[in-house]
Amino acid sequence: MKLIGVDIGGTFTDVIYTDTDTGVSRIHKTPTTTEDPSIGMVKGITEICSRYGIERESVNHVFHGTTIATNAVLEHDGAKTGLITTEGYRDILQIGRHQRPENYSIAQDIPWQDRAMVERRYRRTVSERVTVRDGKAYEKTPLDEEKVIQILDEFKQEGIESVVVGFLFSYLDSEHEDRVKEMIHEKFPDFYVTTSADISPQFREFERFATASLNGFVGPKMKGYIESLETRLRDAGVNCDLLIMTSNGGVANSQMISEKPVTTLLSGPAAGVLGGQWAGALSDHNRLITFDVGGTSADIGIVTERGFSEATAGDTWIAGYPVQVPMIDIHTIGAGGGSIAYIDAGGAFQVGPRSAGSYPGPACYGRGGELPTVTDATLVLGRLDPEHFLGGEMEIYPEKAIQAVQKLASKLGLGLYETAEGILTIVNNNMANAIRSRTIQKGFDPRDFSLAALGGGGPMCSVEVAKILDIPEVIIPPYPGITSATGLLTTDLKYDAVQTIFMSSEKVDTEYLNRRFKNLEEDITEQLEEAGFASDQITLLHYFDCRYVGQGYELRIPVMSEAIDSNNVKDIWETFHAAHKREYGHAFPEAPIEIVNMRVTGIGNMPKIGDPNFAEGSHSLKEAEVKTSPAWFRSESSLKQFDTPHYQKEQLPINEPIAGPCIILQKDTTSVIPPECTATMLSNGSILVKIGGES
Amino acid sequence: MVETKNAIDPITAQVVNGALKNVAIEMGHKLARMAYSSIIRESNDFGCALMDENGQQLCESVNSTPLQSGPIPGYLQGIREIMAERGDDFKPGDVILHNSAFYGATHQPDCGFFVPIYYKGELIGFSGATAHQLDLGALSPGSIGIIDAVDCFAEGLQFKAIKVYEEGKKVDMVWQLIRDNVRDSKVIGDMEAEIATCRIGAQRYLEIVEKFGLDTVRAARDYMIDYSERVLRNEIAKIPDGTYHSEGYIDGYLDSPDPKRKDLKFVVNLTVKGDDMIVDLTGTSDQVEDRPINMPFPGTTDMAVYLTIRTILLDSKRFGYIPQNAGMIRPIKIIAPEGTLANPTYPAPTISRFCPGNALADTIMHALGQAVPNQICAGIGNLYMVAYSGMIDKKYWVYMDIMAGSSGGRYEKDGIDAIDVLYANTRNNPIEDIESHHPLSVTKYEFPDNAAAPGKYRGGVGPIRDIEFTDEGGFSVEGEGQKYAPWGFDGGHDGTPSKLIFHDAEGNETSLPSKVPYKKTHKGETLRIVGPCGGGYGDPYERGPEKVLNDFHDGYVSLERAASDYGVVITNNEIDWEKTKKLRDTHKIKG
Repeated sequence: MKLIGVDIGGTFTDVIYTDTDTGVSRIHKTPTTTEDPSIGMVKGITEICSRYGIERESVNHVFHGTTIATNAVLEHDGAKTGLITTEGYRDILQIGRHQRPENYSIAQDIPWQDRAMVERRYRRTVSERVTVRDGKAYEKTPLDEEKVIQILDEFKQEGIESVVVGFLFSYLDSEHEDRVKEMIHEKFPDFYVTTSADISPQFREFERFATASLNGFVGPKMKGYIESLETRLRDAGVNCDLLIMTSNGGVANSQMISEKPVTTLLSGPAAGVLGGQWAGALSDHNRLITFDVGGTSADIGIVTERGFSEATAGDTWIAGYPVQVPMIDIHTIGAGGGSIAYIDAGGAFQVGPRSAGSYPGPACYGRGGELPTVTDATLVLGRLDPEHFLGGEMEIYPEKAIQAVQKLASKLGLGLYETAEGILTIVNNNMANAIRSRTIQKGFDPRDFSLAALGGGGPMCSVEVAKILDIPEVIIPPYPGITSATGLLTTDLKYDAVQTIFMSSEKVDTEYLNRRFKNLEEDITEQLEEAGFASDQITLLHYFDCRYVGQGYELRIPVMSEAIDSNNVKDIWETFHAAHKREYGHAFPEAPIEIVNMRVTGIGNMPKIGDPNFAEGSHSLKEAEVKTSPAWFRSESSLKQFDTPHYQKEQLPINEPIAGPCIILQKDTTSVIPPECTATMLSNGSILVKIGGES
Repeated sequence: MVETKNAIDPITAQVVNGALKNVAIEMGHKLARMAYSSIIRESNDFGCALMDENGQQLCESVNSTPLQSGPIPGYLQGIREIMAERGDDFKPGDVILHNSAFYGATHQPDCGFFVPIYYKGELIGFSGATAHQLDLGALSPGSIGIIDAVDCFAEGLQFKAIKVYEEGKKVDMVWQLIRDNVRDSKVIGDMEAEIATCRIGAQRYLEIVEKFGLDTVRAARDYMIDYSERVLRNEIAKIPDGTYHSEGYIDGYLDSPDPKRKDLKFVVNLTVKGDDMIVDLTGTSDQVEDRPINMPFPGTTDMAVYLTIRTILLDSKRFGYIPQNAGMIRPIKIIAPEGTLANPTYPAPTISRFCPGNALADTIMHALGQAVPNQICAGIGNLYMVAYSGMIDKKYWVYMDIMAGSSGGRYEKDGIDAIDVLYANTRNNPIEDIESHHPLSVTKYEFPDNAAAPGKYRGGVGPIRDIEFTDEGGFSVEGEGQKYAPWGFDGGHDGTPSKLIFHDAEGNETSLPSKVPYKKTHKGETLRIVGPCGGGYGDPYERGPEKVLNDFHDGYVSLERAASDYGVVITNNEIDWEKTKKLRDTHKIKG
């Protein structure tokens, strides 16, 4: 099988090709074409094909990570969207949960009001109502179909492109929403249509309606993008199917994405976590903290032997809006190479979250930026080589970095090197705190994990961050700069089905549970079969979202796939108690448990990238050495200057431990190995760094 | 100016305080997730903090309500006073429960739990959590809407520094006593969640002390407290010296024949001198002896002052994160004469002090508006809280519903619609959750049309919320703002007051005052709250006509009021520029 993965970043479009039969992989970078990213994407694909003599027609699958939907949300640039909702509840989208994002601010923005997906004038109500009685849905008021038609006519005249249907309790009974959808398909086929139960059949009306509205808002744009991309690919002679990365860590086909673009909001970062997972697996590490550091932010993900962590319900927000769809648990903090160091109004030394971005960028870029950034501090300390920045392709100016850091140092009354190191200490600790909140605070001990250093910035700071957290080793994958593109080639088709049920452990109806699971299984299997998978290629996973009766947040508990009976249901409760104890440090073993949602995840197996093989060459360390120059590191609690060798990664001997301090150069990043650490180049092209001196 | 002792370098200070902040966030997150009752886990009516051995706050949770985390040091102060009076002392393994409003607690439902933290045998700090408990056995179900309590004994169980764990051992009989006296057993689970949270905080604090050393942690504490003080003083110093005066009123008990129970007044004289500030509340109405709308000085009055001032002067939109700690209160002196609403004396009841406190915060903002007009909002719409209850299978259920308020118009920004305001920051509960778990139905939750207060920046709109009983039950209400409309600012119009309306099953409507004692209800009866709308900011005739047209399309203003209040003439859904100019020019001349 021949696979191509394309990840589109702000500056570059990364392309990776692999042939699963021969094990050969190739990488390529081309500038991103911001106005229509599909142009750059197809260009990247045709370039990699011509450069390496790959026949375009022979490519079996193209995998793609996209930020189209994410950017539409962040830039608030989407479709003119109308909402049809239950009479009496016109303003649920505007009221939200009536809580301010900030405790101490008069001037703050309220995202769901200041940047509403649906303006109030396009929120129309219709007589209908479903409620719940004894745990079952019942229709209190029938749907006024005449009114629906009237609203749709108005929408048509008003130039609405996208219609969202959100009714109360549709997660229990979606008949009214389905009926409106049907009417739209029949009479107004031009509208892009989203129903809240289709997108997220879970309780909490604001969150469900908001998720559906986001979907409607970004939908037409995504649909157009997919169509244009598929046309361009076909025109370029790439005739295979297109698979898009979704926030849940799987991929979906273009039809699914056109209908549910809201599932792609974490497309890029999710691919990054998968890339980290792959990098760890190469060297048999399955407990990983993936740490993807870019210019303005860092993404943190957790991988254990059970796979990557998923975000708990209620924790998934994008740009201040709740997004109620399954997502990889990715924590993003505003800390990266471009983070600016400054003294704030109260005289405290701060680093980030303000960033110099790529323009003007760090002071050393010489593009007019005068504020000291993390990259400048790294340069001042001699840990970045000006001659080899981005493989020597970009000129940087160390004197400008020194100037910027010196200015800050004078204000602080500290020395130049102390200040530069201080910048790194503060930003690394901010990053370590973010990692702590995903590990220690969730019952994982970071000492049992390895840190996967990803992104252009990860290999520069990861060892220092690992030290703060007592993480014993760091893995730097073969190409840290294209981790997301690689991650795209390691995944499966993955569709989710969910159903809110509310059932107490004191009144379990196993027959009902088995029946509903069966319904969900059938739905998912049908979708996967439509996507071209035979039933023996499909794996089904079952989960409950549970909480103690009365609680407000759920934890996801895996369920064995065989039928649930009064005996094995006890295992589920035990698993929940244990998960609660791990997550929050405490369990209430006497308390009854409520099943809130049941979920089935269907996985269609896809071909994947194999292990890269860096032939064991006859290189010696001496051959790899480019130069030795002074760099500053802290050792035995004082900041010292070391004569630090710089090595070219491709020339490093395999399996030979190299003592820190040293700097390892490669085209897409620079790895910093501090003193009292040992780096070893592995045959798969990764570098394994052990902290504490032993190899 | 505040000079920090040079005991710690700014880098280490930043690192240690980052770690402390991280702990408080973890505590808040876990308490919300573990809690049972919606008032804590959905409405976020709780707070968490770490304190040093002297009770100075080091850090506080962020995803919680400021009115809960801010007062935590005051609780500890009260606990210490009681323990000194009793001749008692802290021991490792103790967990202390406290809610006495005359000893630092904000009011009786907000139960605080405290775990003393020991390092090498030395008491080095405390981990504390407070949360609004659902029911503590007051005279009617729930712990809000107890508006006819005649003294602090009528408000339910009082805990005065009670050890619920002694040296690690659970004091079973105290727990039995609580269990026997509360109507809803969720209270026990919520209390256990608070304790678990405190223990996590204590463990994390110890980890930080072990990593950095006690001296370093203490130096970082001093650094951060001085830092917060310095930032606040810098901003106070920018205000011209002088005294800024404002007055505000609350309904009190509008249906009471006793004039001492209604139309109660707050007086604020806010004096700035250099980088110091004095907030003098002299002139504020006397305490109401036998009704619980008095505001305990520590915990409510002081918080209304401190939190409002920091919100306005250190707005996080401009300043980012500035830690709330002991330094924040050093520049501010509060004068609140004893025996007034703002400093009640024993045994005055205080359980329903929430709404008066927010009205006091609003009055303080009004005074500050003269000093920093670009940093405030016009008058806020206050909140309503309703306790719904009933019996199912001989077991009590209690559900507490918090209604949104609204903010006034702001400098260069409209007011926020349907939002919690000033010193609190709670959340509503999903309709689908309420109807799934209680015999209640939320039959309406949306904005009225044409309700926003005119202003260059319009006021925020409060929603209408109807809740119907689908079975027998009862309710009680504590609210405010029926008589006194949220104030307009700088030419903006006043907002609209709130209303409370009861519909019986036959369809008869009764207007109710903002405070209603427990009332039994029948199936099919509905309680409607018409939310208040915040005041307008600036002259509405200066609002851009396109914005007024948008408001018209969105139903915030009618055609008629667009012309009469804004001087904008709309014809066929478009602005009639000529007529608009004429109308606006005439308005200018009349001036």
